[in-house]
Amino acid sequence: MSKKLSSSVPTDREVVLGILNNSEDALNKLYVGYYPMVLQFILNNNGEQEDAKDVYQEAIIILYNKIKGGNFELSSKLKTYIYSVCRRIWLKKLSKESKKAVNVTDFEDIEAVETDLERHEEKDKQFEKMQEALLHLGEPCKTIIQDFYIHNLSMQDISEKFGYTNTDNAKTQKYKCLQRLKKLFFGLGS
Amino acid sequence: MRNEIELESIIEDYLMGKLSQAEATAFEQLRSTDPSVDHKVVAHKFFLDSLKEYGQVLSLKEQMNAAHQQMDTAQLTEELKPHPSLLINLWRKNKSAIAIAASFVLLAMVAVYSVQHNTKQNGSYEMMRRELAKIQKSQSTLIRNFKNSSKADTAPVRPAKFGGTGFALTPNGYLCTNLHVINGADSVYVQNSKGDSFKAKVVYQDPQYDIAIIKIVDKDFSSLSALPYKLKRNSIGMGENVYTLGFPKDDAVLGEGYISSRTGHAGDTTAYQVSIPVNPGNSGGPLLDNQGNVIGVISAKENQVDGAAFAVKSKYVLDALNAIPSDSLGRKTASVKRSPLQGLTRTKQVAKIQDYVFMIKVYN
Repeated sequence: MSKKLSSSVPTDREVVLGILNNSEDALNKLYVGYYPMVLQFILNNNGEQEDAKDVYQEAIIILYNKIKGGNFELSSKLKTYIYSVCRRIWLKKLSKESKKAVNVTDFEDIEAVETDLERHEEKDKQFEKMQEALLHLGEPCKTIIQDFYIHNLSMQDISEKFGYTNTDNAKTQKYKCLQRLKKLFFGLGS
Repeated sequence: MRNEIELESIIEDYLMGKLSQAEATAFEQLRSTDPSVDHKVVAHKFFLDSLKEYGQVLSLKEQMNAAHQQMDTAQLTEELKPHPSLLINLWRKNKSAIAIAASFVLLAMVAVYSVQHNTKQNGSYEMMRRELAKIQKSQSTLIRNFKNSSKADTAPVRPAKFGGTGFALTPNGYLCTNLHVINGADSVYVQNSKGDSFKAKVVYQDPQYDIAIIKIVDKDFSSLSALPYKLKRNSIGMGENVYTLGFPKDDAVLGEGYISSRTGHAGDTTAYQVSIPVNPGNSGGPLLDNQGNVIGVISAKENQVDGAAFAVKSKYVLDALNAIPSDSLGRKTASVKRSPLQGLTRTKQVAKIQDYVFMIKVYN
């Protein structure tokens, strides 16, 4: 493990600057660099390869948001941070599935990441709500909304893509879709 | 309906900062007067943020999945899954602990080794003390190296000379010195305080006590008058003031001190420890007490301790003397009942003694 890690891991500074600059390369390097560490941890603690992927991606999202949020202080090594987050997530999952991990096999140092995780859980709920709302929204609304709000296409592009005769029609359609989505989103869960 | 679409697009534009300055001010005016509009703005903002975040996470996941595809996950899994062998698992889990343990073991080994090393040296010191202290003395004995001390421009005709001190045991030319002074010598010469040199030969060597007796065999040598001192057979106590006369340079040098210990180097009972300044060339010099008794022979000093010189007790000189046929010794030193130096001042004592102390020159 250490062999792999040391050969391909970018420096912490590289990663932070890369993420702040939306560098895809930095994210790739980060992802590839620390995955083996997490994989080893999960595999040795009642997990499968898929679990490792999920947990790891969640941890990266947390790290990403933390860095993007601007209040990121490099108080410890990224490695330690990622490991700690993954460890926490995995232990939670294990206890949820009542698969008791009696003796956690650790491979790295850990640090306290509780607050970051709580914040993440909040956001994750929002994410799932949005995902579900979009799912229920159905086509073509889902694509229109995504194209306009996420992919930042103009109304012009959208009306062309969906064959509306003019942008006003497209706007009206988008408005209707958005209203429905809002209803779904705010109506769900809470 | 139409109005609401308009309102929403204005809210959207407002939130995205697309409105002009005037439009924005007008809208803010409307927002402050109409709470329902304000509520819509807040709700829409929250919703849009959620949507944005959703989009971000989605794209992040896409990116990560792409990165995930690059990796040979199957092989990694194979490598990192719990190993069936208990040993390798143990190694992986406790890598750091094992590393620490290993370094401790290493440290301990180094420590043990160095201790052993030390005790080994001590052991060899001990051996030297019992036998002869040959090695130790070769390091710290007080033979003067002429080669080093003589000036470079007046290089001696015969190099590799060593010097020491000796003192008369009998008036007819028996001198006592240290064995290490004359050891390995081709020829030995002695020089008295007046500067006359005489040839001498070694007649007795006692490696155990580092004592040698040489005899002046030069025909120019005329017998000395009766010895002013006698050799003391009994040990004397700590604190006794003593002095020595020696030849660390070409003229005799007086050194004064006191007996600081009844035993010599590392508890050697055959010697005294003397707090007295001695230098290379002092070896073989007599150690005298206030009454003018020779109580020892200066032989060595401690390298790492200040003011610790060693002197072989005179008892062993007497023993050595007994090994020589008494008829060749002539008048015995022991016949002197009362030291003629007794009661004299130090200056007078030295003046009397210095004719009986010789510089010993060794050629090899």
